[in-house]
Amino acid sequence: MNAQPKRRPLIVWLTLSAITLAYLPLDRSVDNHGTYRASSVVTTIAILLALVKARYIFREFMQVRNAPALLCRLTDLWVLLIGAVLLGSYFTGLAVH
Amino acid sequence: MTGVAQAGPQPGAAGQPPGEGTGKSHRAIPGQPDIWVLVLFEALVFTAYFAVYLVHRSAHSELFLRSQAELSPWLGTLDTLLMLTSSLFMLLCVQASRAGAFRAAITHVCITALLGTAFLASKITEWALLAHDGYGFTSNEFFTYYFFLTGIHFLHLLIGFITIGVIIYQLRRRERRSQELVETCAVYWHTVDLLWVLIFSLLYVVR
Amino acid sequence: MSETTAEPGTPPGAPAGSRLSRTAWHWRNNPKRELWFAWYTTVVFYNIFFIVFFPVTHAQPPPHPWWSDAQVAYWFNHNHDGLIIGFAIIFAVAAMTAPQNALIAYSMRRMSVSRAFGYSYLVMYSLSAVPGMLLLCVVLSVGAMRPGRDPAQLHWLYDFAFLSFTGTMGIFLLGSLVWMLAILLDKNRVMPKWFGYLNLCNALTEVVVAPAWIFHRGVLDWNGLISWWINVAVFGIYTGAFITLLRTMILREDFGDGPLPDLKKNHQAKASTLAGTPR
Repeated sequence: MNAQPKRRPLIVWLTLSAITLAYLPLDRSVDNHGTYRASSVVTTIAILLALVKARYIFREFMQVRNAPALLCRLTDLWVLLIGAVLLGSYFTGLAVH
Repeated sequence: MTGVAQAGPQPGAAGQPPGEGTGKSHRAIPGQPDIWVLVLFEALVFTAYFAVYLVHRSAHSELFLRSQAELSPWLGTLDTLLMLTSSLFMLLCVQASRAGAFRAAITHVCITALLGTAFLASKITEWALLAHDGYGFTSNEFFTYYFFLTGIHFLHLLIGFITIGVIIYQLRRRERRSQELVETCAVYWHTVDLLWVLIFSLLYVVR
Repeated sequence: MSETTAEPGTPPGAPAGSRLSRTAWHWRNNPKRELWFAWYTTVVFYNIFFIVFFPVTHAQPPPHPWWSDAQVAYWFNHNHDGLIIGFAIIFAVAAMTAPQNALIAYSMRRMSVSRAFGYSYLVMYSLSAVPGMLLLCVVLSVGAMRPGRDPAQLHWLYDFAFLSFTGTMGIFLLGSLVWMLAILLDKNRVMPKWFGYLNLCNALTEVVVAPAWIFHRGVLDWNGLISWWINVAVFGIYTGAFITLLRTMILREDFGDGPLPDLKKNHQAKASTLAGTPR
């Protein structure tokens, strides 16, 4: 995306807000009239979307996009690491129990 | 914090980050390089907390789902939008400061502080509502995690207000103003936002 | 200690000769000998602490808070010799924490910040040895001393020992914040800023451990996954970092008032000193 620089923060904010609001129908798709039901699919999507937001915050709000390559790669690595740990913990917990 | 005005990133046109709109590929680390140690380290520590939570969630799925239903997804969503908007204004503050528009920058960071305060108020309200319904730190395993994670995040946010104070102090100085310090504090604020984004998804959204 | 010959402030005329004669010369003449003494004391103390608290006494990781009287009594009896001997060693070497605290306070005196930082840290950490280490040692030794003690009494001692050890982190929290503030305000670059921020991470772990007073089970009790295991991992990284950084500080020390020189410049200084060129 090479949006006009002045509008870029607003577009970033709109995107992040939209992803946040998307959580509501995501949960509603599996909940049963206020009774919550377990769903690996919803959990996985929720975590992946959170990681997308996290990376977006790193790159846009924290301006890693304009940082040296090392920091870009380090933050990307961190997002991957966090993702691996979260999804790994969740599925390991499911497998064990 | 040396308080010395930094000859770091060159201000581009109208507060552009380096390398944008100037045709040059001048890249600079946002803020002090040292703050990134804090950002990455805290992210790891919180990830460890989240891992423990997720494993235990899987073990007591029924209890966690039932308890999670007591939370309000609307309040959680509002909290997230407040944090994201506060980060937006923090970014605008940094850009204005870089462009030399210090009064605008101060306005933006004050809005950040207001939105942060709104988040705190929302959190306290949510805690009070839960307490009124009889749910506390020791009620059950889910609520232990809920109050622990939101509580430690709350503490990080309070520290964020100190960093906002540092930003305002820097912006109001005429001499020896440090853009690097402003950006360093901004990075910390965004980290608090980032942590909330993860906490929100894990406490309110995952099933 | 051969690296000390590379630093500014080393008196000229360090003899060439056997390692023993050079070491003896440094012990008599090197102006940094007290700093090195404090640093080596720190390293030795942490090694003794680890060996005593972990494999000898089994006081760390802490045993479970939810045990019954009988289980607690069994633990005391099973670890009787380790507890008595291990903590006797700690009582003998506890004073080794003093040079460590002095070295950290020294780092703050070398900074451009007020002396109040160093002195307040020194006072705080001197007092902190009581709840932060000695109480547990005394109480568990008392418990182990008479094997026939009533299990209910043993359980009382057990709770007292581990709660006082794990739950009294307020003073370490404040100490970390004092050091953090000193580092972030310092203009002499004694410690890197990232270590200042790491002090904040360490301080926050002291908060995380506070729920140990409330929980007898789970991840927030005194040996819980969050309040003990993750916390100790953070503390271990923090301790390793500051021991390394204190060593670097001593190597860089020039006994001046201004910013500490980098290590590379020290090597250049050594070369010019040996050549007789004034710096």
